[in-house]
Amino acid sequence: MNPANGTAGDKWNLRLYTAGQSPKSLAALDNLKRMCEQHLPGRYTIEVVDLLKNPRLAKDDQIVAIPTLVRKLPEPLRRIVGDLSDTERALVGMQLKQQK
Amino acid sequence: MEPISSDFEKELESLREKLAEAEDVRRAITRGEVDAFVVGPGGSGRVLLLANAYQRYRQLVERMQQGAVTATANGHILFANQRFSEMLGVPLAQLYTAPLESYVSVSDRARLSAFLMVSARDSHIEVELNRRDGANIPARLSLASFADGYASLLVTDLRPMQWPSVAVDALDSIRTSLEKLNHSLAGDTPGRDALRSISDEINGLARMIDEMIDVEGRAERKGSL
Repeated sequence: MNPANGTAGDKWNLRLYTAGQSPKSLAALDNLKRMCEQHLPGRYTIEVVDLLKNPRLAKDDQIVAIPTLVRKLPEPLRRIVGDLSDTERALVGMQLKQQK
Repeated sequence: MEPISSDFEKELESLREKLAEAEDVRRAITRGEVDAFVVGPGGSGRVLLLANAYQRYRQLVERMQQGAVTATANGHILFANQRFSEMLGVPLAQLYTAPLESYVSVSDRARLSAFLMVSARDSHIEVELNRRDGANIPARLSLASFADGYASLLVTDLRPMQWPSVAVDALDSIRTSLEKLNHSLAGDTPGRDALRSISDEINGLARMIDEMIDVEGRAERKGSL
């Protein structure tokens, strides 16, 4: 793990911004759950924020496109836009993997 | 050459981050990885979906009286409506990514798993749902659609369908008590008259319930054709 991203025991706090059950939102949540189970078992929480229910919450993390994943913890905050179908890119974006 | 000031370095780093974020949004859009956008200034943002009809469909699902769940083939909940949350007595936020089987009686879990794996359209199973308060609810899970590897289920609370038979049992029990009372009131004419009028009311209720059962039975037979 990259030392800039905390220690192996850190709790990961992830927030996924979705638009109800739009196809890309469902895919993002499915992909995220799978990645977390594989790389962060027992050390993560996923908060799903449905922007169709409360679009004002988009302001908090400056969301423009949906789905967007925000890594709140460990710091620094990271944003990844898209359905996380490109696992390599998503893992690099979350800093769970070093860029080649 | 003059040394680069730390303020300049910070500004440069901030610009690089902003550029990377903008590039990430552009890349996600061009690859078709997003299907909604937040538009509008500041806190007044609105969400625009790429598919216009979707929002109407969603409102329908949110407000209907049946539970609705979308789950992966291995049973993780990706979406649930408010009604399903109420049926279980579990906040909606806790349902996301939770295994659906954790809210189903242990004895029904293997059948649920097989049901989700087979995922034949229009199929259904009946299971006991476990509410958070410990109560069990008999429910029917009907597969509404299966697309992109996700099963969309309609969840019907079967308790209201059992109420007529519960009422019939209750009326039978009242009738038995009334008969006993009738024997003990031998010679008490006003008492027996009062009892007869209660008995008439009970028989009227029984006829109404019979009609309800008959109507439901016909509807069910029609639905299964």
